[in-house]
Amino acid sequence: MSEFVETISRSEDGRFLELLIGPQHPASGHMRLVAEVDGDVVVSLRPNLGYVHRSVEKIAEVKKFLQIIPLVERPSLADTTANNLAYVLALERLLGVEPPPRAQYLRTLLAEINRIHSHFYGIGIHGVMIGSSTAFMWAFGDREPLIHLAQELTGARITYSYIIPGGVRRDMPPDFPDKVEKVLRYIERRLEDYDKLYVRNPVVRARLEGVGVLKKEDAIRLGITGPNLRASGVPYDVRKADPYCAYPDIDFNVITREEGDAMARFLVRVGEIRESMKIIRQVLKKMPDGPIFAEKYYKMLPPNLKKYYEETKEVKFPGIFANLRAPAGESVARVEGGRGEVVIYIVSKGGMNPYRFRIVTPSFRNAVLFEHLVRNVRVADIPAIYGSLDYFPPEADR
Amino acid sequence: MMDLLDLILQPWIFIPLIFPGLTTAFLVLLGIIWAERKIAAKVQMRYGPLYVLKPLGGAIQMIADLLRYLFAEPIIPKDVDKLTFIFAPLILFGLSYLPTIVLPAGPGFTAISSEMSLLILLGLLTLSPVFTMILAWGSNNKFSLIGGLREGYLVTTYEIPLFLSALSMAVLYGTLDITAMVEAQKNVWGIFLNPLAAIVFLVLILISTSKFPFEIAEAESEIVMGPFTEYSGIFYGLVMGASYLKLYVLSLLYALIFLGGWYPLPSFLQNPPFLAGIMVFVKGLVIMFIAIFMRAIYPRYRIDQAIQIGWHKLVPLAILSIFLSLLVVYLGGV
Amino acid sequence: MAVERVFDHLRAIATGAKYLFLKPRLTLMYPDEVEDLPRGYRGMITYNHETCISCSLCAMVCPADAIKMYLPKEVPEGEKRPKRYPGINYTRCIFCGFCVSICPTFSLQHSTIHDVSFYTFEEQIFRPEEFAKGPPKPQYDKEPVKVRVIPDEERGLRYERV
Repeated sequence: MSEFVETISRSEDGRFLELLIGPQHPASGHMRLVAEVDGDVVVSLRPNLGYVHRSVEKIAEVKKFLQIIPLVERPSLADTTANNLAYVLALERLLGVEPPPRAQYLRTLLAEINRIHSHFYGIGIHGVMIGSSTAFMWAFGDREPLIHLAQELTGARITYSYIIPGGVRRDMPPDFPDKVEKVLRYIERRLEDYDKLYVRNPVVRARLEGVGVLKKEDAIRLGITGPNLRASGVPYDVRKADPYCAYPDIDFNVITREEGDAMARFLVRVGEIRESMKIIRQVLKKMPDGPIFAEKYYKMLPPNLKKYYEETKEVKFPGIFANLRAPAGESVARVEGGRGEVVIYIVSKGGMNPYRFRIVTPSFRNAVLFEHLVRNVRVADIPAIYGSLDYFPPEADR
Repeated sequence: MMDLLDLILQPWIFIPLIFPGLTTAFLVLLGIIWAERKIAAKVQMRYGPLYVLKPLGGAIQMIADLLRYLFAEPIIPKDVDKLTFIFAPLILFGLSYLPTIVLPAGPGFTAISSEMSLLILLGLLTLSPVFTMILAWGSNNKFSLIGGLREGYLVTTYEIPLFLSALSMAVLYGTLDITAMVEAQKNVWGIFLNPLAAIVFLVLILISTSKFPFEIAEAESEIVMGPFTEYSGIFYGLVMGASYLKLYVLSLLYALIFLGGWYPLPSFLQNPPFLAGIMVFVKGLVIMFIAIFMRAIYPRYRIDQAIQIGWHKLVPLAILSIFLSLLVVYLGGV
Repeated sequence: MAVERVFDHLRAIATGAKYLFLKPRLTLMYPDEVEDLPRGYRGMITYNHETCISCSLCAMVCPADAIKMYLPKEVPEGEKRPKRYPGINYTRCIFCGFCVSICPTFSLQHSTIHDVSFYTFEEQIFRPEEFAKGPPKPQYDKEPVKVRVIPDEERGLRYERV
């Protein structure tokens, strides 16, 4: 019989145990967390990122401008509209195109639908990380009606590629507002059940309250963004700070909480779902009539395509879109996505590709929190904090 | 032929072999895991197992799973302590099943008649966690090690109040014999005389069988599968089945000492005596149902919170339940 | 505070128990029931060889390089510069639909087919000749029930048989 050799690695004095959480771990995602534990207490945690780095920025430099639209959607699959919108806004600033008002409203509509289902995604993952399979299944189930709505609007479930320079790709179907209203009422009703079963569940509160507290000044100092920042009491939201699309006309509140713990981050997301529903209702009410495609590109369409667009309200691309050239210069756009601020920066030398392309995703900015928050907490708090950040490794790695 | 039937119906064969022993335990094992998945699925607005025997809602899913466990290759990692790695699951499973022999199936129908049967049963129950810890250590895996330690902490947490709340019922009935305890509940069930002990014991069932919200030793999102991380194939089937067997034993015990055992006994179940076991079994199923239903409601507690609940809440409450029993006895008894 | 917590426990359990008796299920029994997708769904692409003018805009705009222009297998006699026609590689296609949007003659259109399986990589490359035959049909064990997905106030999504 072979001799029993203990192969568990410990720190030199034998006190700390190095725990490698991921990348093959049920709750790690595509990353590795190197945790040093002293008994049940995590002494330090080092996130090891980059497992799903796909070189989006470099690939963008060899893609044509229109081809980058699907590319920027890929990093954050739960929240594609934010990246799509941020890129197109930056591109439009470069091209000097202003989309018509109805297109602005349609963009806002899709962005908010996407925000709700992105938040449901985060809530579900957070739920299963602390052990509530019901929260996971419910959130992923209730994501489905919203994905269905987005599919009716755009034709795809997740990767919409709906927003193009100069407008959007198609108008909403005539019965769309009714369907949206039905889904919103359903979500409203379901949120009450979430409240009873999950939010006010004493076990959930025991697990999340006071865990992973991010202080206001630390949140600002570390450059945290999105719901994680607002949960620490900083009322910063790009939709208010630097309004774009239809947001200047819309009345909505920035949800903040003062606690800064995992529960606060979770509750900010729930609050934003309610706020997004408010926005969607307003958008549908105020939706102006008119074209959905900028005049500049509409004029380039041949007559038969113009006719098709007038009849079906589906945009056909002018031939120039295949080899779109942006004038030399640089532009930057930022958008409040579901997880936080998405910044896209383009440098053009007047060619068909960007000379330099930069995308700053919210998860990338929030990744610093792993090291900051997971210190002197219990091993069981690692997934509770990780889940509360709504961190998405592919988005951070890009 | 009749001789053989007579032999099987002897309590010392019937109890270990038929009810509450091997046969029923096996069927419960297959049924309860299916029911757990089905109930969780219903709350979560989905179907759960369905396609294995569709007319019955996938009722034999677990037989398919059992076959899969049987035929899957049990992987034994290079660096594990092979002796413990292989034998600990077997002993763990056996020990989880062992306490059933002490349980009575009907009035006077026991395999081991003892005045101490409650103590024997509780004593046998405490043995199995030791082997969970041994196999966790033998697995030579960090997650297993942490899981095993968590199991160890939980044992210290739940064993004391478990004994105390069970013994408070012994104080109430003035006996340690489970059969006599059931007979004492002929008119009033124990749960009405000492609801405190009943609630404490129910929570302790959840902790000791690692059901939600106390599924801490195996917490998947934290430590993969806890002590059982390295197990696969039939060995994994055994270690997983062990906690369900424990749930089965504790549920039957709960039915016997809190829910009146086989009382009220309808006349058609009075003869032969082992038919009374059906009543016990049904009550046990209710308890098992409650335990598995919690999966759909709760996330899991942190280990420190669970220990805190054990020592700060359950131990005082269990001690209080002894005084409650004494009070009931003082006021007139059973 | 402690009493409140007991009520919170009971409320959570009662809510869970409510769902044991309600009948809302979100599951679409996929291979038995298949969603009847509306027009405009971005599925696999159909190609009309007759109307194609070989402008190659689709190949130029394709973000994944899935569409390429192919020479015909048999070049007609005496043709000096034979026209190239688009073929698609479904291992690369991301169903963004840019090719459909840019096609000036409506030769490329979306079908609603999206759940086709292939055995090999090579099968997924459609040269213009095969591309013109239309996307392959999905193969089910038995003919699935077509359902229309309708947003519903009570259940979120309702599946109505077509």
